[in-house]
Amino acid sequence: MKQLSDYLGIRPCTLVYLLLIFFSLTTFLVGQMGFSGLGMSLLVLFLALIKGQLVGSYFMGLGSVRGLWRWPVFIWLFIPGILIGMAFTLSYQ
Amino acid sequence: MTVDRSVKQSNYPPGDLAIWIFILAELAVFAIFFAAYAFTRLQHVELFNEYQLTLDREAALINTLALITSSYFVVRSVSAIKLDDRERCVHWLLAALTMGLLFLIVKTFEYVQHYSEGVNLSSNIFYMFYLSLTFFHFMHVIMGMVILAAIAVMAARGRYSRQEHTGVESGASYWHMVDLVWLILFPLVYVMR
Repeated sequence: MKQLSDYLGIRPCTLVYLLLIFFSLTTFLVGQMGFSGLGMSLLVLFLALIKGQLVGSYFMGLGSVRGLWRWPVFIWLFIPGILIGMAFTLSYQ
Repeated sequence: MTVDRSVKQSNYPPGDLAIWIFILAELAVFAIFFAAYAFTRLQHVELFNEYQLTLDREAALINTLALITSSYFVVRSVSAIKLDDRERCVHWLLAALTMGLLFLIVKTFEYVQHYSEGVNLSSNIFYMFYLSLTFFHFMHVIMGMVILAAIAVMAARGRYSRQEHTGVESGASYWHMVDLVWLILFPLVYVMR
């Protein structure tokens, strides 16, 4: 992320901000265009988890922390992410 | 002293450890809420899909952009204080507070709209989850804004510096948590169907 932001000539946090905006607009458009179904739900969930990880790593600063404290946000995203994904998958069966 | 701080910074998250314990507890509560929403939806798929369409997705997008932008401003305020630029730190915090206020205004309009349509907690199970989840988050936004405002005042009074800015980092971490929760809440409640 840092190398890409260097290449673009912007701060890493600004690049993350732009990615968050882009993913949020994508999520919104999925809803507005009436897309539904398991595939779309899981795609939107996946985008949300990516956004969460970006916030945890780059905004909260956990990406530069060593050891256990690097993982709480990842674990927090992973467990509800699995549960939500499982519930939505079951709702289509 | 400098060596100790660099070691501490690389092994522990930014800010006070106590705020992180608090953040993890808050995140755990929201995780349970999200899982409860998803599994309750399993029993009422049609009802959840039908009433989800009554929500104002455009307002939710504005709120998402407001929270992401405010989080970005908070990141910039932390960067500013690390450069000993107190004035800029305060300006970024005030900008973040403005975005927080925008969130509260938009969300309040949504609640007023629902109220005028006769929607309340006992309308149905979807609205029960929607109202309680979003209002619980709404209260966290208010608390986060109080924390940011207090930090802005202390920063303006010269309480923080390049050497000591734990308070700014602690408040920033809490505010990012509020943003983080909304990033899951928005697609789950407003989009996924």
